[in-house]
Parts: sequence; structure tokens; C-alpha cells
Amino acid sequence: MPLVGTVFARLCLILILTLAGGLGCRVFERNVPAPAAAHLLPGQTADVFTTARPTFAAALNDFLGRHPVVVEQPFEFPHLTHAGREIACTEYCHESVSEGPVAGLPSVRTCMSCHRTVATNRPRIRQITQMREEGRDFAWKRVFGYPAQSHVRFNHAPHIRAKVECSTCHGNIASQRTAQRNVDMTMGFCVNCHRERKAPDDCLTCHF
Amino acid sequence: MDRRSFIKLTAVSGTSAALASCGNPENEIIRFVPDEDIMPGIATMKPGVCTLCASGCGLSVRMMMADADVVRNGQAGLVRIHAAKKLEGTAEHPVNHGGLCARGQAAVQVTYHPDRITQPLKRSGDRGQAKYDAISWDDAIAELVSRLDALAMAGNQKSLAFLTRHRRSHRAALVDRFLAAYGAPGAVAYELFHDDVLRRANALSFGREQLPTFDLPNARYVLSFGADFLGTWNSPTSQGHGYGLMRQGRPGIRGLFVQVESRMTQTGANADQWVPVKPGTEGVLALGLAHVIVAGKLRPASGGGRAGALIDGWSSGLGSFAPEQVETITGVAAARVERLARELAELSPSVAIVGGAPLAQSNGLFTALAVNALNSLLGSVERPGGVFFTPQINLASTAKGLSGKATASLPLDKIAAGILDGSSVPQVLLLDGANPVHAAPKGWRVREALEKVPYIVSFGQFLDETAALSDLILPDHSFLETWAEALPESGSLSAVASVAPAAMMPLHQTRGTEDLLLDVGRRLAKPLNLPWENFEALLTESVSALPTTSTFDTWTEAQEKGGWWGTLPAALTTPAAPAAQIRPFAYLEPQFDGDAGQFPLHFLPYASSAFLDGSLAHLPWLQEMPDPLTSAMWSSWIEINPTTAAKLGIRDGDIVEVASSQGTLRTAVIVSPGIAPDLVAMPAGQGHQTFTRYASGRGENPVELLAPVTEAETGSLAWAATRVRVTRVGDPDGRLILFAGGSREEEGHR
Amino acid sequence: MKWGMAVDLDRCDGCAACVTACHAENNISTVGADQASRGRAKHWIRVERYWEGEFPDVRLKFRPVMCQHCENAPCEPVCPTYASHHTADGLNAQVYNRCIGTRYCANACPYNVRFFDFFNPSWDKPLHLQLNPDVSLREVGVMEKCTFCVQRIKATTIQAKAEDRPVADGEIKPACAQACPAQALVFGDLDDPESAVSRLSRSSRGSKLLEDRGTKPAVTYLSRQS
Repeated sequence: MPLVGTVFARLCLILILTLAGGLGCRVFERNVPAPAAAHLLPGQTADVFTTARPTFAAALNDFLGRHPVVVEQPFEFPHLTHAGREIACTEYCHESVSEGPVAGLPSVRTCMSCHRTVATNRPRIRQITQMREEGRDFAWKRVFGYPAQSHVRFNHAPHIRAKVECSTCHGNIASQRTAQRNVDMTMGFCVNCHRERKAPDDCLTCHF
Repeated sequence: MDRRSFIKLTAVSGTSAALASCGNPENEIIRFVPDEDIMPGIATMKPGVCTLCASGCGLSVRMMMADADVVRNGQAGLVRIHAAKKLEGTAEHPVNHGGLCARGQAAVQVTYHPDRITQPLKRSGDRGQAKYDAISWDDAIAELVSRLDALAMAGNQKSLAFLTRHRRSHRAALVDRFLAAYGAPGAVAYELFHDDVLRRANALSFGREQLPTFDLPNARYVLSFGADFLGTWNSPTSQGHGYGLMRQGRPGIRGLFVQVESRMTQTGANADQWVPVKPGTEGVLALGLAHVIVAGKLRPASGGGRAGALIDGWSSGLGSFAPEQVETITGVAAARVERLARELAELSPSVAIVGGAPLAQSNGLFTALAVNALNSLLGSVERPGGVFFTPQINLASTAKGLSGKATASLPLDKIAAGILDGSSVPQVLLLDGANPVHAAPKGWRVREALEKVPYIVSFGQFLDETAALSDLILPDHSFLETWAEALPESGSLSAVASVAPAAMMPLHQTRGTEDLLLDVGRRLAKPLNLPWENFEALLTESVSALPTTSTFDTWTEAQEKGGWWGTLPAALTTPAAPAAQIRPFAYLEPQFDGDAGQFPLHFLPYASSAFLDGSLAHLPWLQEMPDPLTSAMWSSWIEINPTTAAKLGIRDGDIVEVASSQGTLRTAVIVSPGIAPDLVAMPAGQGHQTFTRYASGRGENPVELLAPVTEAETGSLAWAATRVRVTRVGDPDGRLILFAGGSREEEGHR
Repeated sequence: MKWGMAVDLDRCDGCAACVTACHAENNISTVGADQASRGRAKHWIRVERYWEGEFPDVRLKFRPVMCQHCENAPCEPVCPTYASHHTADGLNAQVYNRCIGTRYCANACPYNVRFFDFFNPSWDKPLHLQLNPDVSLREVGVMEKCTFCVQRIKATTIQAKAEDRPVADGEIKPACAQACPAQALVFGDLDDPESAVSRLSRSSRGSKLLEDRGTKPAVTYLSRQS
């Protein structure tokens, strides 16, 4: 009994440590070239940018294609309120959607362009005013999108030009507060619409 | 361990793993408000100027949004910036016509280099230890000002020295103006491959102290003596563009090209005829061709004009340069000399080019003058298909404050000698991008000399061997973050001033050196009273003086196009200098260092495609770029002829010791068919002791073997005049890395 | 629409500007000296070198080689997941998310233009700020190769469609073609007989690389005339 316990405990230890990401992504990449010089001058960094995920958990989520439907944002922006004021999606906050691939997320500067004077007594407006004064911006968390390894290169502009409504893919965000992943945007969802509307459906249309 | 500590351990390691960043964890991000309005995903193009070499190519910079890591008020976070993503050539720029060389493509890595100096630094350890502390800009400037004030108070203004690279630009003119106003000698320029011999020859032959421009698109026959004009010499992108047109740009007409050299360069590989020649005898060959042309009445001798008059024996028919004598001296067969001469004369327009190793011999000036005389004879000077001189903008007339030249300064070797014997020691040295500790011969003892200078300030963006001796570092912006400009001395038939505003905001706390000098000039106890508030004001004044070429005013248009180009009125052009009263030059045998018995092989260090003289070795794309002649990456090597290698018992990849009178080095061998049996060649660029993580301690520096032989007339370093001996010391040890394409995963590693 | 390229070897001077331009455009990571010595450097376009003869009668010829986007590509039938396949407009597509890294495609390719990502690429910050947002970052375990700058093809065709006009000849330039000082690389539509690439491809100097393998490359090489 004690012998099995020891061996078993050791195996568990190794397995759990690995899974807990204690060794992180590096264990899977023995040969990541490390920066040569350890001698850094003031202001220099040894940081590295890589496609590796920061944790094993993140990698697992990406592999299984799991996205949370409800994402907690650093700031609870109410779409409902603004849509109710007849501000269109693309007017201020998601402007680049008809020009290029990315719709864009607003900076606190965008909010302040109205809220310098509008509803300035509300607590959340005071919060963003203070952020603006401190030079801090929203660190929005991504709601819509795909894991990097899906290599989806979605381009908004042709869809806007084809008069696809924002709500088709994003759901009725106008009736929500913070955006939620309302539509299950699987590849099938995209391909079905492409086939219906006679848009190209070869791999290279989206994955390149 | 027991269960409790086990759980604690996994909890801790799990959490720390969650926060550890191999990438960007989304949990703890702080974002700062961007300083600019940028639309994500949309590219805009901005003009730019590449300043990595003196060509001054025009750039189209592709800008897009990126997330930069910054620290603000002690907090680390992200901020959206407008970032340069890709550099392209400007389509209409008269130098590069839309093309951009490999080095220009890699130039974007300068801005984003991880080892860039990000803020002013003050030395904290001993000199040379490269230990620095951060200081504020106010303190740094105050320090420099106080040093200059102290010098001025003691009446020692002449003890201020400024060491820079060869560049023609408003910046260089501003530096000279600053020095003149302060009372110091003019800037000293040092570069390993600087072509001053050719400039002097052109000044003597044509009154133009500048590098030549070749109208290749219209040439029918090009004869190049040693110039790597498609790779690394003069204005390669412009010449490459012209070459393409020379070959296939005219229906039914294909220009021919002959290269004369002892080691096949990337350029020479493209020649229709490749003519090996004995080192230092290229001038004799040029005059041999002239002899045949004149003797055969293919051109009148009087066509030699001013350039011909500089050659001893020209007027009497160059009797000592008959083909048989030329064969004896140069090794080129007499019949070949005759044939080449006839081709040159008959396939008109023809033009001769000379540059690189032939001019880096003790008789380099003679060689350059001989080729100039040949061009004159052919009628190729300032005629379509021939050799031109880019009209030079006279800055004294476009920016009035720039008039008044600083007193000429000595060349670097004389300055080093003056320091070492104590006769003339600069008290303050300002370094602006030159790296003589790496690129000057050991015999000049530059490092030793610099260590005797009490105070050294560097404006460089990187810590290289020379900057590592500095006491104060005031890092400049990269060329994408500030006014980038150049006044190309060659590469364009029309006058051109490349100038572009900053493409992006500075990434770090750097400051433009031009503005810094103007600021310092104002803060001195005796202000210099330079008439410009900042560098932009100087550029505006100068460029606005140039004639308009469209409906917009010159300055507005220049900022949009990335420069000004067009016809320069005489009042704004530097005129040609009249012929000097000077005795003609005769051929002198080249003098080599090292007797032929002990050192049987000529040693040729050459500008590498990737790094030129080594100033670009810090860019990782260039380290990984396979060398066009050898496919080597991240390496040094020496090229040896197969017969010579066999005689020495050396095989491909073996390690050899190369010895000159100055010292030894060890490197790997590449056996190459394209090199004469009595020559070995090694690319310059590697062998940095200190030059960022990518270049430090990598490879070998051929300059360490160079003897301080100088060109007889100009005193320029004759870097091709050293002889060496090569001995095998070992088997391949893996230091030589080749990109072998198909066999890249086979045993071919060395 | 059938994309193709013509490479004029009489213009090419071996400067390798195309090699670095491709790295800059396509987010090709620098692998470093150690990995490069193990043959893992990824040069989607390379300058090949052919020596002929012996000193002093020695010649050297350059040839830039990139993915030939073969009509009859040997890399396509061997891919078990359809990651490597041929598109209707003549490209050999490499779909990274389908790729499971069997490397049969690289094995089959006679031009040796396919590269495997042996490890997750990394960039020493802030070099990553240079990365092109229009191009995927490839992770460990996938094959990559020249795409004829498909991101540029897509962007320009979408823009042309938005402006309700056809794509002009010469409007799309892969990074290599744009950088080349001698303008040796010409890209365009082989289905348009008047396009520059079509006219060059009909040249008497034209030939295909390893033509006898039957791969039917979309790249025509115009031989050097000396």
C-alpha cells in the first residue's frame, strides 16, 4: 500500500503540476530562441511576444473553441441606453466597419466627446471623466472573435456593403447593456449565409 | 511533502502561471488613452526617407494601428499607436523609383529594436563596462551644456570634436554650422568603405567632389572595375533599377556588362564577361583600353580633356600601356584588352565604373583618375548612357544661416595619433553614429585614443563598441520618428532633396539630435545664435527656397511626396570647380602590407550585402538573410579558391587561422570558384564585441587584420592592401550556418 | 482570374531585397542562429545560386524561387486534411487551421518551398509592433509558404469590388515584386492575355522550373541572356 501511494502521489504531482500550467507554455517549446544578452540598459525589456497562449487553460479553451457568452467588461457600457438615443452602431464607436476589416472599439475619448457635457452628474459618467483625466482607457475584453489558431480573417467592410445588418451576426445588442455573444457564430453559420447569398465559400475567402 | 503544502504549491504555481506572460494575458491589462486618432485595420501610407546608407531613397511607409507596451506614471499598460509596418520605395522618387533594397526593407526594425536606447543615460561603471543609469533629459542637457561652457570659458573651443559618418544632409550642415559657431573644427567623418578617393578623383578630373551617377537605362556597354554597384556600392537601388532597364527596358536593345575584379561580387555575377585582374592594377587596364582606342583611332586622344591631362603620358599616346605591357602587369591577356577596347568604343553609349577594392589600394587615386580619363575619352561624361553628377543643392544659398564652413578637421587616423602622442587631445567628443572602434584598423589605436578623451557623448540609438566608451548618451529618434532627410550626392540625374516628416510618434523618450543641438546652442553661456527655432524651421527655409514643381508651394509638396526633385537653378547649385594646376599622375605599383613570402595571399574585406560595413549587423532580418554568394546566415566566413584550398589541405567548412602583420582571427572556410587563387575574401560586418543581442560576440571582424596602409595621395585607408596567410586549424565546428534550401535538413551543416 | 508570376532572370541581380521584403510583409519569424543551423529558417522566397565553370572562366547565375503555385501541385494530393489545395483563381492555398503538420506536402514539393513551424514563433518586444495585421501568425505545427501575398490580392479585389471596377493590371504587387529594384518580378492575371505577366510568359526566353515533373507552375522564368 505505501509503495503504491508513493508512486501514485508522485505521478499525480507531476501530472497536476503540468496541467496547472506551472511550467506554462515553455514545456511544449524546448527551442524557443531566448534573447542572448542578459545585460539590459535602463528602459529596455527582455519581454517576448509569441503565439503561445499564456496558460494551459487558455490553450485548452482555444482548442475546444469555447467562448463565454457573457463577458464581464471593465466598464458596464449600456448599449440599450445609447441605441435608445438613436446613435447608430457605426456612427461614433464602431466607425471603421465600412472601411476595413475591423469594426473597432471606442476609446474613452469617444465617450467624452458627448459626455463632456451630457449626463455629467451620473456616477458612471464621472467615472469615465476621471479615467480620461488620468489618461486611462477602457481595456475592453473581446466578445466576438475566434481563437488565433482558427485563422479567421473576417473583413467587415464587404458585409456592410452587402447590407448585412449588424444584428444578423451580433444579435440584438441594441437591447442589451454590455455586448454578449448572442449568436453562435460557428463556421456553419457563416457558410450557410454565404451559400444563400452566393458569396464565395472557398477556404481562402476567410482563412489565409 | 504532505498534502497541505502540495496543494499550496500547485495553487501558487497555477496562479503565477496564469499571470506569467509568454503572450499577453487578458486579466490584468491596463490601457492608456491613445495620443492619436487611429482607425484599426486601416492602412495609411506616409512618406519617409531611408537613412541607413547615403543613397537617400524615398520611402512609402505603411502605417497601421498597433498596441504598444508603455509605462506611464509607474504603471505598465498598453496604448494604441500608429505604427510603421512596412517600408516600400516611393514610386516617383528619382533615386529608387519604387524599389527598396534588402537593407531598406529591414530598416523598420531599427525603430522597434529591443536593444534601442530608450532614454538619456549617464555612465555609472568604469568606461567601457557599458553600465549606465537613467537620467532625465533636463539633467542630461544641463550636463552637456556645462561641459561645453567649461570648454569655452577656458578658451578651448577647438577641443570639441565631432565624429560622424559620411552623409550629405541638412543635419550634417547643421552640425558643421553648430561647430563653426562654437569655434570648434568641423565634423570628422569616418566610415570603412567611404570612397573619398573617388570623390577626390572626380574633383580633379571633373571639378565635382562627389560620387558619380550612371545613366544605365541608356547605356549599351558598361565596364565596371571592382564596383559592387548592384549590391553595396554607391547608390545600389538606383543602379539596380537602371540595370534592369539596361538589360530589358528597351525593345530589341540589351546592354552588355563586363566586370573586372579579383573576387566575384554579387554584381560581378551578372556580368556577360567576368575579367579577373591582379589587385591594384585596374588603372593600368583602364589606360590599356584607352591606348588601344586612341591607337586604333576609335576616338581622338583630345577627348581625354581635363581628365586625360591628369594622366602621365596621355598626350604622348600612353606608350607604356600597350596591350602586351598591360598583360604583364594586370594578368589580362593582350588579345582580351584589344577586344574589350573595341567593344567599349563601338558599342556606344558606353561607360566605365570604378569603385570598391581597386580604390582601396595605395595607388587608388591613380586608378580612379585613369577610369575618369577613359570615360572622358569615350565621350560618356554628362552624355546619355554615361556618367553624370547629381546636381548638388548649395545649402548656403537655400538656408542663409548655413553659410560659413567650419574649419577643416583632420582625418581620424591623424586625430588618433594626436591624442596618443598628447599633442592634441579633444576634451569633449560628440559621437554621431560612427563606430571606428569596430571599423578602423587596429594600427590606428582608435580605442586607446578615445579612452584618453576626458568626456564622450553619444547621440546614437544603440550601444556599439564606440558608444560603449561614452559617458553620456543622448539617444536620437529613429528615422521614422523624426524629420528624415538626405541630400543624395548620386543616384539621380536630377537634383533631389529627400525630406519627410515623422511617420510615427517616438516610441521611447528619445530626442531628435538636430533639435537637441539647436537647444544646446541656445543654452550655452555664450549662445550660438543660430537662426532656427528647431530643425523643422531649417528644413522649411531650405526647401522653400527650391523652385516649385506644381501648384502647391514647395514645402507642402515636399512633405507629401517625401522630398523635392527637379531642375535646380544655377544660383542654388554647387558649381563645378575649375581645373587645378597639378602635375599628372603616374602608375605606381600597389604597395601591400606583409611580404609575399610570409603572407602569400591578398586579403579582401568586402562590404557584405546584409551589413555593409557592420553598421546594420544589429537587425535580425539581415542576420537571417542568406548571403547571395554563399547562403550563409548569422555567420562569418572566408572565401578561398578551390586550388588554393586544396594546396592548403582545406575543405569546405574547415576552420582556419588567418594571420596578417596585425594579428590573427579564426573563421570558417567557404571554398568558392569565383575568387583568384592568390586572394581570400571575408565579408565585413560581424565580429562586434558589443552591438545588441543579435550581433554581439557573433562571427569575426576582418578589420582586425587590416594594416594601416593608406592611399598615397589622399591618406585614405587602403583596406584592400593587406596580405595574409591562411592555415587550417580544425574541422567544421558548426559556427558556419548555411541556408541550403533543399538540403537544409541534411548533413550539410557546418 | 489565374494568378501567376514572371521572373526575368536577365533583370534579377541577386540582391535579395525580395527575401527581406517577404519577411517584413508576411510576419515570418526570425528563428535565430541555433534554429537556423538546424535548417529551420523560413525563407518563403530565396535566391538560388548556380556556379558554372572554374576560375578564371567562372559564371554565377541567380534564380529567385518561391512557391510556384503549380496547377498540378504535388503538395495538394498528399495533404490528408485539404489544407493544401488549389483555388479557382490559381493559387495553391495553405489553410493553416486545417493543417495538422504531417509535412507530406513539404516532402512532395520538388521546389522545396514549404516550411514547417517547429516551434511557436516569438518576437523580442517591441519588434512585434511591426507585425502585419493583415497576415495570420502561424503557430507551431503548421506548414507555411509563399501565398503570392494573398492578403494583398484579397484586399485589392475587395476594394475594386467596392468601387465597382475591375482590378487593373499591375495593381496587385506581392511584396517581393514591389521591392525589387530591377523590377525583375512581375505579377498578374494569366487569364488576361494583355497583362504584363501574360506577355512576359509568352517570351521565347520563358521556361518553367522543373517543367518535366509535370507540375505546371504558374511562374515563368525568362532566361538570362548571357
